Amino acid sequence: MSVATAVAPVLEVRGIAKQYPGVRALDGVDFDVRPGEVHCLLGPNGAGKSTLIKCVSGAVALSEGEILVDGEPLPVGEPSASLQRGVATIYQELDLVEDLTVAQSVFLGHEIYRRGLLDRARMRRETVALLERLDHPGISPDAYVRNLRPAQQQIVSIARALSQRVRLLIMDEPSAILDDNEIDTLFGVVRRLTEDGVGVIYISHRLDEIPRIGDRVTVLSDGHTVASGIPADTPPSRLVELMVGRKVEQMFPERPTATGDVVLEVRGLRRGREVRDASFEVRAGEVIGLGGLVGAGRTELLRLIYGLDHPTAGEVLVEGRRLPAGRPAAAIAAGLGFAPEDRKSQGLLLDWSLAKNVTLADLGRFRRRALLRPRAERLAATEQLRQLNTVPDDADRIARQLSGGNQQKVVLARWLLRHCRVLLLDEPTRGVDVGAKAEIYRVITDLAAAGLGVVVVSSELAELAGLCTRVLVMREGRIVAEVDGAAATELNLLHHAVSDTDPAPVQEETP
Amino acid sequence: MTTVPPEAAPSRRSLPFGLSASRIELQEYTLALVVVLLVIVGAVLEPDDFLNSDNMLNVLRQASVVGVLAIGMTFVIATGGIDLSVGSMVAAAAVAGGQVADSGSLAFLLGAIGMGVLLGGVNAGMIAYGRVVPFIATLAMFTMARGIALWLSDKTPVSIFQLEAVRWFGNGEVIGVPSAIIVFVAVTIVAWVLLNRTRYGRHVVAVGGNREAARIAGVKVQRIVFSVYVLSGICVAIAAILVSGRLASASPVIGNLYELDAIAAVVIGGTALSGGRATIVGTFLGVLTFALIFNLLTLMDLPTEIQQITKGVIILAAVLIQRRER
Amino acid sequence: MNFKRYVVPICAAFALGVAACGGDDDDGGGGATSGDGNGQSGTSAQSDGGPVKIAFSAPGADHGWMAAITENARNEAEELGDVDLEITEGVTDSAAQADQIETLIAGKPDALVVLPNEGDALTPVALKAMEAGIPVVNVDREFAEEGAYRTLITGDNYGIGWQAGNYFADQLKCQGNVVEIQGIAGISVTEQRSQGFRDAIQQRCQSGIKIIASQPADFLPDKGLSVMENILQAHDDIDAVYTHDDDMAEGVVSAIENANRQDEMFLTGAGGSKAAMDRIEQGGLYRATFLYNPSMSASAIRLARLIARGEGLQELAEPEVPSKIQVPATTVTEENVADVKELGF
Repeated sequence: MSVATAVAPVLEVRGIAKQYPGVRALDGVDFDVRPGEVHCLLGPNGAGKSTLIKCVSGAVALSEGEILVDGEPLPVGEPSASLQRGVATIYQELDLVEDLTVAQSVFLGHEIYRRGLLDRARMRRETVALLERLDHPGISPDAYVRNLRPAQQQIVSIARALSQRVRLLIMDEPSAILDDNEIDTLFGVVRRLTEDGVGVIYISHRLDEIPRIGDRVTVLSDGHTVASGIPADTPPSRLVELMVGRKVEQMFPERPTATGDVVLEVRGLRRGREVRDASFEVRAGEVIGLGGLVGAGRTELLRLIYGLDHPTAGEVLVEGRRLPAGRPAAAIAAGLGFAPEDRKSQGLLLDWSLAKNVTLADLGRFRRRALLRPRAERLAATEQLRQLNTVPDDADRIARQLSGGNQQKVVLARWLLRHCRVLLLDEPTRGVDVGAKAEIYRVITDLAAAGLGVVVVSSELAELAGLCTRVLVMREGRIVAEVDGAAATELNLLHHAVSDTDPAPVQEETP
Repeated sequence: MTTVPPEAAPSRRSLPFGLSASRIELQEYTLALVVVLLVIVGAVLEPDDFLNSDNMLNVLRQASVVGVLAIGMTFVIATGGIDLSVGSMVAAAAVAGGQVADSGSLAFLLGAIGMGVLLGGVNAGMIAYGRVVPFIATLAMFTMARGIALWLSDKTPVSIFQLEAVRWFGNGEVIGVPSAIIVFVAVTIVAWVLLNRTRYGRHVVAVGGNREAARIAGVKVQRIVFSVYVLSGICVAIAAILVSGRLASASPVIGNLYELDAIAAVVIGGTALSGGRATIVGTFLGVLTFALIFNLLTLMDLPTEIQQITKGVIILAAVLIQRRER
Repeated sequence: MNFKRYVVPICAAFALGVAACGGDDDDGGGGATSGDGNGQSGTSAQSDGGPVKIAFSAPGADHGWMAAITENARNEAEELGDVDLEITEGVTDSAAQADQIETLIAGKPDALVVLPNEGDALTPVALKAMEAGIPVVNVDREFAEEGAYRTLITGDNYGIGWQAGNYFADQLKCQGNVVEIQGIAGISVTEQRSQGFRDAIQQRCQSGIKIIASQPADFLPDKGLSVMENILQAHDDIDAVYTHDDDMAEGVVSAIENANRQDEMFLTGAGGSKAAMDRIEQGGLYRATFLYNPSMSASAIRLARLIARGEGLQELAEPEVPSKIQVPATTVTEENVADVKELGF
């Protein structure tokens, strides 16, 4: 961690408020960022973090208050002004164009010209230099963005920000798409930047990251600063208290145990190099975790089980009956449910009402002589949403309007409506704030207690260690370890995820 | 990334008179208003000829042919696809019927339906299983169907003056209402029920809304995509029967640019070109709008340029209204 | 070593080279012609009696009349026997047709027969042919400049309108309401047929005959149907309908018959289709049509052959083929329909 010097702050935010018709999204926010500091921004969904970012980056105009960059007031509502003053933002949904090369993307919008024509050689050179500065010389400036992995795309985004003079870099949940290895690399990059005096605002839901990378923390709740600039080594429980406004006793509910028969059996499932010879069992009442690095094959395995992709070998049995491969409809009929990794682009129809989203997988139930009954649909959907504490639980709302955590509940509601036997959840708490996370954990354990079998894929090993009955670790397409939940720790799971001592699948009980 | 707090953007807007409407309903109301406006304008500009039952039935009857096509097109567009070939396919279906016209009316009907389903099936196969982009596949069919029509008919129209049953479809009446209108309205009602009140219809719109999400939710995407183009083919056949009946001839040169009229009607009706949002009522009103404009401008004997400009302006306006609602 | 950057210059060089060497014929058998003068075009080339190479271009044949044009040209060439005819695929776009003609020119035919999609748009490429020494026979739609063709053979659109106008004046005794259904708005054919009609009734009847409606129907029967249906709504006192085309008139007739108003008025077409002639024979609504014979393309082939051989029309005193021939429009009514029936398309 770099030592922040006590000179004029790079960014000062004083008394900001932002009024939307009917809603006061920001209501008195104060904090500052010093040069060379990593300042973390915490807060539950709806607290106003993204609105605040938009104010600083100029995408949105303030209703009250002022923002100072390097001591000078920032003209509000002008993104170009913010950019000029050196404020750059890396969004969660990266602002890159897939069909351009790395060099083109880095200079998109501020290309370098020479005698009226694009100076491609120079842009290429500077891109290479930037990538080196970010410790990623391996990314080729001529590679197409679409061919890069998400972590690499993120680096390109950062390089893009750096290609113009930057004083303040805002990073919105950068670790959401990364695995642990890549997060370490990212932190290295961030530290380098701070060494050059750049200030960084780092937004994340992952409390464990704060002390690792941050210098100070500001906590937002309901549009105002609850705590401004407190040290980053403040205990997580205190941070959660500040965010949620009350003591949160326990993150994880009681660990579920197997209660019944085998509901899902996977035997020798294989698909090219992505999934190799995967076999495991899930009993009713269990929550099985699938951990590993990005690219280990966890999502691919779930997709094979559910039938979204065709396996080259192997079979899946649900309650003892063989499932025809490659047909999601058959999987659903057999009692499987699948909540995909990207709930916005794969899970929900964002422009549809909640009711229609919830009933989509089970429309047969609402038919009377071939005609649907919308009222019955709405009632059933509302009931499910209420059970999951969804806010708002108005089934006529449009899915797009809900926060990440609530959207996830809508996806879960869909499968609960169908009374599944086995639930496959891919990154269920990604992009979800702490309060909602705890709720989702409770839902999962309640479901297990009710007799479902649940398989959870997650990149947060700590999450798996706290939640699951058993954790399977994957590496390079194989299941390389099975660890009993009570004995699992983030560390030993990570050990299995990265080490290459044992290529063959291993059943291991850690003492 | 955090989202705007839920209260900021309600799903229903409040209108005067205590009504409320979702986005698509707003489009339908607006269009209904436009239709009423056109009727009023017509009554004022052409008091003797416009607003009488004879002319109104005339307008509806003319709207029937493109109307049936537009209904089929609504399903196609709801899945995010498009069908540029319906006009040429009408000619091909009519010609197919004409070739077997010697064997009587039933033969004609079967011939037209058969060709419509066949060509629709070819489109469906190319798009659903051959993974050809709908624009390209139907563009190819656009020229192929016209070629088939010209080839089968040897470039000459076949008179079907003697086929009373077929002519009845185009020109007959049931208690004073032209049978073409009855067919159009019947097709509209069936389509409405299918789209809004059946599982099939829900699946169709799901495919257009988010194909991957639909697939994950168990929708058989390929089958749905296949089916909508076959549906379009059936609508083509119906349209071909209506127009041939009225012309008393199976001609290979008809159907020119019908697809653009159908698509325009669907678009101003409020169905999203990108899929995921569809309205049969909107399409019906859209068809009516264009038919009224054509009728009024012809009654006033205005040059066709005026008609074309008016159509274009209305399409633009409709799209802008849709955009604002987003 | 980045080879990609050389792709564009190499392709450009290749394209230039191919263009410089001259394109090849589409027609496979093109090389079969014998004789010394083959590479050179010109009027004196084939006077020794060898086969004459004629290139032919007309717009896409959707419409019966246009299809007959191409058919007739083809049949005539076959009948003559010593004509080597090269026909391009009909296209409906002027720019596309210009490209095709360029290709034809490169094949160095002895003569070029063209029915242009639009006379103005295709004048430059016709001039090019003339400058390259290839005589051009212009069919129907006139080029903008006389230098663009050696001989023009055209129907008489104005004459059709004029004869129609006179026919109406006689039949209606200079009193009545007339509806005009035009073809495609804006093209010279339409304008001339309209103008001729109007001039005739003006001269004969001054304001006795009124044109109460005038709408285009694009030469399509279904368009004719809808347009007429609306016009019937607007006017309950129509004495006669003047249409610009027989094929299109079929739709107009349907509209009138569907509305059961065929006794109220009479109708005329143009072009000379068999269907129209049948109706005229039967009598009733369809009273007359005006020949605009697609046989002119056959005549054009004959003329092209004569020109390529350096010969003239035997019946004339002059040694060379005339530069303008206007084929008259014949009025076809019940009286003479039996005689001209074989000319119907």
